Amino acid sequence: MNRWKKKNIPANRPAKRPTLSGEGFGGRFGYFFYRAFVNIRQNVFVNAVTIGTITLALLIVSLFLLVFVNLENASEKWSERVQVTVYFDRELSAQEQATFNKNISSIPGTSRVGYVSRDEALKRFKGRLRGQETLLDGVRPEILPTSFEIALKRDNRDTQGVENYVAALKRVPGIKEVQYGEEWVRRFNTMLNFMRLVGALLGGFLVVAVLFIVSNTIKLTIYARRDELEVMSLVGATRFFIKAPFLIEGIIQGAGGALIAMLLLLALYEGFLHNAGSFLTFNPTTAGLAFLPPEYVGGIILSGIALGFIGSLSSLKRFISV
Amino acid sequence: MIQLHNVSLAYQKDATALNAINLKIEKGEFVFLTGPSGAGKTTLLRLLYGALSPTRGQVMIDGKNVSHLPASQIPYLRRSIGVVFQDFKLLSTRTVFENVAITLEVLGWGRADIGKKVLHTLKQMGMESKIGLTPQRLSGGEQQRVALARALVNDPRILLADEPTGNLDDANKNQILNIFKEANVRGTTVVVATHDRRLIDHAHKRLVILCKGEIVEQMEKEEHTGESAG
Repeated sequence: MNRWKKKNIPANRPAKRPTLSGEGFGGRFGYFFYRAFVNIRQNVFVNAVTIGTITLALLIVSLFLLVFVNLENASEKWSERVQVTVYFDRELSAQEQATFNKNISSIPGTSRVGYVSRDEALKRFKGRLRGQETLLDGVRPEILPTSFEIALKRDNRDTQGVENYVAALKRVPGIKEVQYGEEWVRRFNTMLNFMRLVGALLGGFLVVAVLFIVSNTIKLTIYARRDELEVMSLVGATRFFIKAPFLIEGIIQGAGGALIAMLLLLALYEGFLHNAGSFLTFNPTTAGLAFLPPEYVGGIILSGIALGFIGSLSSLKRFISV
Repeated sequence: MIQLHNVSLAYQKDATALNAINLKIEKGEFVFLTGPSGAGKTTLLRLLYGALSPTRGQVMIDGKNVSHLPASQIPYLRRSIGVVFQDFKLLSTRTVFENVAITLEVLGWGRADIGKKVLHTLKQMGMESKIGLTPQRLSGGEQQRVALARALVNDPRILLADEPTGNLDDANKNQILNIFKEANVRGTTVVVATHDRRLIDHAHKRLVILCKGEIVEQMEKEEHTGESAG
């Protein structure tokens, strides 16, 4: 049967657009989301590759962050040992103690001030010589100095901060002898700065590598779908109309990749916490190992979203001619 | 409807694709562009849908100069032009329905109206039973009919076809030619670039012959029909 036989063909009517789904971004927003989800369903493999790449990339970065954050926490604890001690060769009266306490506390950078009397000093001394207390038989508290032990705020614990603080402390009337373990503070801060430098370098390399890999993966996946861009352009889609579903896809891929990376990281962290005791010499549950703080987790998810969005945007620019 | 005034186009300094083309195609006309490979047929079509800009001269569509349209305006020009190619350019991950619906989605039609119009167009093409299939499961002729449905679903004022039957057998060529004719009867101006002499002879339409970027001959339908009959 010839289905192309003469038919009664109606003439073209002027372009009619019966029910518009809306003009502009607002009206088409629903369509763009619908299209993005349908595209993901129709291009499962390509999307899985992109999400997988983003997941792996962010997992590597967040693992590094997790280690770095825990090292920072540990160094924070060690830095609490940075302490300034003011010595006196006599016992201070309660009024003198209060005056010094007030004067010292008013110096910026002071975190905590505590007076150590001669009796307290001897008690601590004995405590350190536990088991050999007899060595101190006959030692009277008077031979020991009294002191103020001063803990510093975090920002004042580096070498320069401690030196500035000590200079201010020496200006307090009545204070002459101040000790703060210069060598230890210097070494500790050198170690800390080295650790931060190595961390920043490694982190920087990681981020650059991740950006490179993710952006190229997205570029390849969009290249694989360049026909779609061409056809959309041929039927009169504006650049924005072509880009919008791809950008939403990028955001979904980025958010999905970041969420999966965070879940995997949490699983690795929990797994390490509960199993590392059997092959490490310390117990990680009691060592105070912490997971990433919520703001870091939020930051990584936002980075994932930005990665997907910007990766798609820059790739689309390359492939959309008019 | 379509006018080219002294249009020249050079891809590079010494590579002239079109040279001083003057051509007028009236509204509702059916025109074949023919000539050997490299004659400039495809380039001429690409000028008409804004994929290229002429180096010299003017391209007028509906009285509007589209020679150097800003990029932001080209989509609006294309909404009134349907284009089909030898390689169909169908999206392999989308169904027949979705491939045709793209045109109306771009225009902002609602989903219910898209459904009705796409179904209607596919019926006209005899493709309603393949609506849920992806292009890989269709024959070449069927794929070209889907591509034509995509080009014609919004009743464009102009239909451009670049070697539309290049990959098809004779039976399919006839079907495609009939679709062109029907669109033309409905009022669409049709311009087909082909070097398929058999298609041209069957169609009995105006013929423009290009060679090395120049129009070397134009024949009204009676002329070349008579020639081939003789």
